[in-house]
Amino acid sequence: MEIAYYPGCSLHASSELYDIQCRKVLNQLGIELKEIEDWNCCGATSAGKTDDFLSVALPARNLGIADASGLSEMLIPCSSCYNRTLVTQKILYEDPELKIKINTELSKKVEGKIRISSILDILVSKANSGGIAEKSIKKLEGLRPACYYGCLLTRFPGDIPISDNIENPQGMEIVCKVLGAEPLDWSYKTDCCGASAAVNDTDTSLFLMSKIIKDALAREANCFVTTCPMCQMNMDAYQDQVCERYGIRKKLPVFFITEFLGIAMGFTPREMQMDRHFVDSLGLLKELKLV
Amino acid sequence: MSSPVLTFDPVLSKPLLQEVMDRSGQNLLACYQCRRCAAGCPVGEETGVTPDRLIRMIILGEREEALNNLLVWRCVACYTCGTRCPNNIQTARINETLKQISKEAHFEPLLPKVAAFHDAFLRSTSHFGRVNELEFMGLYEMQNAKRELKHGGGWKAVADEMKNHAKLGISMMKKKRMHFQLDKIKRLSEIKRLYAKSKEKSVDR
Repeated sequence: MEIAYYPGCSLHASSELYDIQCRKVLNQLGIELKEIEDWNCCGATSAGKTDDFLSVALPARNLGIADASGLSEMLIPCSSCYNRTLVTQKILYEDPELKIKINTELSKKVEGKIRISSILDILVSKANSGGIAEKSIKKLEGLRPACYYGCLLTRFPGDIPISDNIENPQGMEIVCKVLGAEPLDWSYKTDCCGASAAVNDTDTSLFLMSKIIKDALAREANCFVTTCPMCQMNMDAYQDQVCERYGIRKKLPVFFITEFLGIAMGFTPREMQMDRHFVDSLGLLKELKLV
Repeated sequence: MSSPVLTFDPVLSKPLLQEVMDRSGQNLLACYQCRRCAAGCPVGEETGVTPDRLIRMIILGEREEALNNLLVWRCVACYTCGTRCPNNIQTARINETLKQISKEAHFEPLLPKVAAFHDAFLRSTSHFGRVNELEFMGLYEMQNAKRELKHGGGWKAVADEMKNHAKLGISMMKKKRMHFQLDKIKRLSEIKRLYAKSKEKSVDR
């Protein structure tokens, strides 16, 4: 099956490994990702904070390109891009005047027909249908992940219905259990890591992350797993600083969900470029004899 | 931390409330001060002002206070307040609107780095159609440096800030998470046209 794919800027730059993993893992599950042509940045939360028109117009251009691809579904792995694109689709549906205004500037017009999927939408359906179990050659025994969703996968600036529970989502847990890992119950799965505040308001972000890390440790997690490249980057790159400032002794690797799938499917860490983590991720996997 | 007593001026209050409601699309008048937003706000403890309080300020027409408080500038746009609001008021959207109003009025932002970050992000997008992290961080640092030199932070403040980010940059390079190629889209003219359109005042979304 072919589906459209919007990687977004992160997956083309600092989280390139996530792009590579998405392609490999979904390919194993029988899904071929067709990257949409000439896509642009979605504006992320910065556009909303600076310019309301651009916060809709930037994702709209991508929606037009996606609609023109002729495919019926588009995967957006980055939570921020996913959030902005879904919200834009809804705004344009409700505001035909704005849609016309934007469409006049676009060579590929927004129709609003393509279905936007998060990576969990796809993985949960493959977990439920048995597709993931069928392709797994290894059980992820001993992995006790704190499934970390962050903000933008379940919460939107407006009424957007989603298939999971907003306060206590279960999608990642479903996938982890099929893989043989033991996801744990914890309280900070949808709390904010600060996202861009890590750069522009570092103290705030470090404080938010400290609460998340402390709770995961108190529940005896041995790693985090996430689907959002910004959550992964923050929790991974800033963990040293957080631990130093808040006197936390133990560090937890921060995996992408695609790394769990990849390991279970028999890909090597090298194939998934897992050496690009800040907090060592291979030690735990070796200790558990998973690689 | 608590804010000073709020006063009500009927003449001043209406334009601010109306502007914020129109631009953010949020019905502030539906707020009945249940404070579920305040309970869920991850930065509420530090900002003192919580979403319920901000809404009340706007209703009362406290323009200065509404643009110049830590909640507006420290809000991490996690959307918890809006998701939990029984009346569907998205205070994160209100905060976005207030940042825009502040910028248009040429107010000095309470947390200038936050404003500089988002400005640089959008400028970088306008240059190539995609965000190039190196270019974008360069723009951001330049804006910070300019401000520090102008407002008395001096070269030391500039150097400290750069040192911090250089440290992260170096570890990103070591982990091959730094991207050196410039990503540029083909039909950049479409992006330029959208940016030009956003400058037209008649567009209100």
